Amino acid sequence: MGGAGGEDGRYGEGRYIDPRVGVLAGEASEQRVPERRQKVEGAVPYDVWREVPPPEGRRAEEDVTYYDRPVLKEPTWIWAVPAYFYAGGTAGAAAVLELVAALADAEDLDGLITRCRWISAVGDAAGTALLIEDLGRPERFANMLRVFRPSSPMSVGSWVLAISVPAAGASVLFGKRHGPLGFLGNAGTVVSGLTGLPLTGYTAVLLSNTAVPLWQATRRSLPLLFMSSAVTSAASLLDLTDLTDREQRIVRRYGLAGKLADLAAAMAVEREADEVEEVGTALHEGAAGTLWRAAKVLIAASAALSLVPGTSNARRRLSGALGTLGAISMRFAVFHAGKRSSVDPRATFRQQRAGRGGAEATGTAAVTGPDGRRAVS
Amino acid sequence: VSAAPSNERGFFTDTTVCIGCKACEVACKEWNQLPDDGMFFTGMSYDNTVDLGASTWRHVAFIERPVPLGGQTTGLGDFSWLLMSDVCKHCKSAGCLENCPTGAIVRTEVDTVYVQPDVCNGCGYCVSGCPFGVIDRRADDGRAWKCTLCYDRQKDGMTPACAKACPTESIVFGDIDELRTRAEARVQQLHERGVTEAYLYGSDPENQPGTGGLNAFFLLVDRPEAYNLPPDPVAPSKKAAEAWSRVAVGAVAMLATAVGAVLSARKA
Repeated sequence: MGGAGGEDGRYGEGRYIDPRVGVLAGEASEQRVPERRQKVEGAVPYDVWREVPPPEGRRAEEDVTYYDRPVLKEPTWIWAVPAYFYAGGTAGAAAVLELVAALADAEDLDGLITRCRWISAVGDAAGTALLIEDLGRPERFANMLRVFRPSSPMSVGSWVLAISVPAAGASVLFGKRHGPLGFLGNAGTVVSGLTGLPLTGYTAVLLSNTAVPLWQATRRSLPLLFMSSAVTSAASLLDLTDLTDREQRIVRRYGLAGKLADLAAAMAVEREADEVEEVGTALHEGAAGTLWRAAKVLIAASAALSLVPGTSNARRRLSGALGTLGAISMRFAVFHAGKRSSVDPRATFRQQRAGRGGAEATGTAAVTGPDGRRAVS
Repeated sequence: VSAAPSNERGFFTDTTVCIGCKACEVACKEWNQLPDDGMFFTGMSYDNTVDLGASTWRHVAFIERPVPLGGQTTGLGDFSWLLMSDVCKHCKSAGCLENCPTGAIVRTEVDTVYVQPDVCNGCGYCVSGCPFGVIDRRADDGRAWKCTLCYDRQKDGMTPACAKACPTESIVFGDIDELRTRAEARVQQLHERGVTEAYLYGSDPENQPGTGGLNAFFLLVDRPEAYNLPPDPVAPSKKAAEAWSRVAVGAVAMLATAVGAVLSARKA
């Protein structure tokens, strides 16, 4: 930390405490402040003239906001989080297919199983790295396993991932061995297959378990979207690899089911989001809306290619590439649309006034006026 | 006769006597030694603080309304000024606490919600879990921060800095049950004086079921939206069962799909 005064003369690092007469020992005295201010002192952190509406006299009661400022904080998460959604989902769905294939016919499906093992192990490891990258204090990542808190989908997911990572690792390292190590490998296959199931879906619960209007509104359809999208991504990656005829047929069917479920789930997500107009707009407008539409087109195109009969490798590879792009776009679209809806105060206000806030969960809306008048009449 | 005081402490913020002096903001910054957020002019009435955040644990909102207050006549035409000192609500069902995966956020012995800075790893999940947009992660610091209800002062039986500094008793600190009694009497008094809009926001679980009530509740005279407060906030976890049940459905479907795909493709 900088010394007395600092280069800008703000004693005690932005706290205006002269260290010769005061001690930095308060509750927030440890808060790190930047060495250099990003913004010039006196500059507003946002464009006042563009973002703050001029006083316009009496506004309609249902359009009241506080200078249009957001009511919620925008999620702090960076690109690494939707990238993890993709990596973790792909790993989970690959581990599920690996387990089923290993139980059905480990000998004949050896190539497919090996590829699934690698996708699962690499996806788990990369996903963990991405999650650590997103932390504000990455060196404290192990604190994720300090407690188990069932009310926190992130805590549940951390434990699932913590079990899945070594299991997928054991599976890829020892899956083909014999003896005790082989047993360890087989156990890894079983455990990573079983943890793969929640791994593909908990991320959607994690998003919906927030105050972000879009994510909370789509809590019933989002898990199905993420889980089908995981199948799409795993199958699409496998489509990019060399497989036997039989394996190709397995992957095509697995992937086709995923893609069709993806498209159906995407429709369900839109329907849930559109129940309140201001919530749904985040999914339709702006960059997130474009990404969302692109994802649907890519997945539909990939599904259409999977339906073309024949064993052309070019068809398979193209379908795999389109499916991969579609699955990635889908995660980023949901992520950015949620961010957008979080900073729109009207999305929160209208959603709750439409009975989709506390009233939906508890049966009774909050008091918002005299004589016990409630938010929802 | 008042009941024996519980161990639940909180704030009652009576917005009708707030004069917008921001002494609470200053006292909070001073006591907790919070760094400044930069000095700027927003054009939003006298509010240059904008909102609560990682380094701003009290925020005075200034609302200029083209509507008179009940029972009030002004020589300037229809106008009234609403002032509110906003703060962490220390919810009974706290979205931040329920979402925290590390156990950094805890409920204290005086029923407040406290973030342990030595445990927080900056995952940011509390930020999205808060239905009031209170808690935030400080980019330079990497950790999440919010009002502690002056946990350090509580240990010595002292009033939190903001309440101590408030010159009009707009911010009152104390035992929750006593605060409720006081707040209800104040609403009654205001109604009698013609301020019929007065009501309590979040005073108990019956008042605000979605959060189970707030340990820092408010007396307001306009819709919550005017103060940038959500009208019907909810701890997100109250809806989690629906999402988890869909994961179960998806898991069965995924397993069935994998079995179907493998078994249907027989050896050539």
